[in-house]
Amino acid sequence: MKPIITVENLCKTYKKRKSSEVIHAVNDVSFAVHEGEILGLLGPNGAGKSTTIKMICGLIKPDSGAITINGIDNQEKRLKALTHISAVLEGNRNLYWRLTVRENLEYFAGNRGKSRKEVAPKIEDLLEKFSLKSKENELVNRLSRGMQQKLAIAVAMLADTEVILLDEPTLGIDVETGYEIRNLLKEIAAEYKRTIIISSHDMDVIQDICERTVIINNGTVITNDRVENLLRLFEVRAYTITLAKPLSDKQQIILQEKFAQLEYTTDTHQTKLEVNLTSSNEIYDLFEVLQHEKTPIETIDRKTINFEDVFLKIVKGEFQHELVSSY
Amino acid sequence: MSWFHLINANIRKEVIELKRYLPNTIAMLVTFYCIFLGMFAGIQIIGDPTTQDVNTQFVIVNYVFWYLALIVVGDIGYQIASEATQGTLEQLNMSPLGQWKIMFSRLIASITAHLLIVIVLLFLAMATTGQWLHVDLITLIPVFLLTLVNMMGLGLIIAGMTLVLKQIGAFLQILQFILAGLVFVPLSVAPFLAFFPLVKGVDLVRATMIDGLSIMEFSSFDIFTLLFNAVFYFVIGIVFFLYCERVAMRKGLLAHY
Repeated sequence: MKPIITVENLCKTYKKRKSSEVIHAVNDVSFAVHEGEILGLLGPNGAGKSTTIKMICGLIKPDSGAITINGIDNQEKRLKALTHISAVLEGNRNLYWRLTVRENLEYFAGNRGKSRKEVAPKIEDLLEKFSLKSKENELVNRLSRGMQQKLAIAVAMLADTEVILLDEPTLGIDVETGYEIRNLLKEIAAEYKRTIIISSHDMDVIQDICERTVIINNGTVITNDRVENLLRLFEVRAYTITLAKPLSDKQQIILQEKFAQLEYTTDTHQTKLEVNLTSSNEIYDLFEVLQHEKTPIETIDRKTINFEDVFLKIVKGEFQHELVSSY
Repeated sequence: MSWFHLINANIRKEVIELKRYLPNTIAMLVTFYCIFLGMFAGIQIIGDPTTQDVNTQFVIVNYVFWYLALIVVGDIGYQIASEATQGTLEQLNMSPLGQWKIMFSRLIASITAHLLIVIVLLFLAMATTGQWLHVDLITLIPVFLLTLVNMMGLGLIIAGMTLVLKQIGAFLQILQFILAGLVFVPLSVAPFLAFFPLVKGVDLVRATMIDGLSIMEFSSFDIFTLLFNAVFYFVIGIVFFLYCERVAMRKGLLAHY
């Protein structure tokens, strides 16, 4: 896959108001986005991801570094680069609330130099796809937030660009619409062959739809890897084992000796063991101790890690060295 | 063709909003008409009776022009400030046609949509005062168009300033009076104002509508000044707007309010 966006050594500083202090909003950020990929751009508030997104969109001029979109330098040929990229940066605020759904689509197409006749079939397609057909003549200010968000994405889609940037596409919307938007984004990437960059604080969305994530913190890239790789790296071998009877004194002593990270709670009927294994072979040692006294096992549950945990660990600086990759 | 579709989209938006909020549009027309009535009453009560007719005609032309100047020059500033607050400004900035073209289209859209109101206002004013002016379209159209180009240049300057400064509400209030000064002050009183924006255009429109002059009777200096002002202020407007856009991009102000 060839990269459709390359970001190289991007830097942006701002001067603090009424002070000579300089803030490094973005500091030597580099990454690439490949054709048809869904990339998650993550980071805590103030990390520099919005500045990076706006520099990619050509809304902010970097101090140094280069951005190419489909091979076009977006500083030298900003307007040409913009023919390949569209964005939803402020969600439902990116719309004209005093115009109807259809009027918004037609107006934004016109602002890209397209005629109403030219975009009419695409508008019909998008209205159907985004379940907005029944609302096409409704004023935007009368739509729900979810509907507005879908319309904002439809407007970006109508631009017919290879790359779509979405800043917080599921912010402030209900669970059902959130799922709908996730599925729409997956469809857009697959069916329309679009490259999507998503910035979001909703880690479920990132885990669900992104293939790769770039995590920015304090203006620098701290992680650039596939979502599944990150989940695997942080995978833990933590188990909760429920036993049908209390542990004997002998068992308690052996287990305490063998497993450093073991906790248990016992009542008259059962025992709950919580153990963090350092290798997969340790599970057999555990079973051996239990089997020796024929202690019946009721349940074995493995603790799973989600992407939110991964994100927090990375941002807090855990495993930083293992994770930074040049992808 | 992309220019055509861009202008068409902006005119359509302007007309839709004027129609959709018709009570607001009518209220705007009534307000401007009432202010005119106030001026007319002033001339009737305290004006010199020997020059009353000329003064009334003078006020009609100036007032209608002032209204148009407010729409073309001032409104673009309010629009940008409002779009920055709404969140739509950055979408406009992401158009591959370039922002100045969008702003230029907005200006054309404002003029087109408000032209009908201007004509209604003009005929209402003439009917109220009983002072029917000369409407020599062959002379008026080129003078009017060149003066509009001049106004659009000023509009782009205001648009550029708003892009960087955003909160220019107070300046836009003052601008109303500056525009009134440029439109109302006769060139015969202050000839040095000939190269100021709008002044020559309004002066020639007055000469046509009040004194009945035709384009053939204008001096070559009049035509040169009119043309020069149109080109000069329009070019200055575009250059200034592009400069402001670059400043806004460097400072990260294109979307922030």
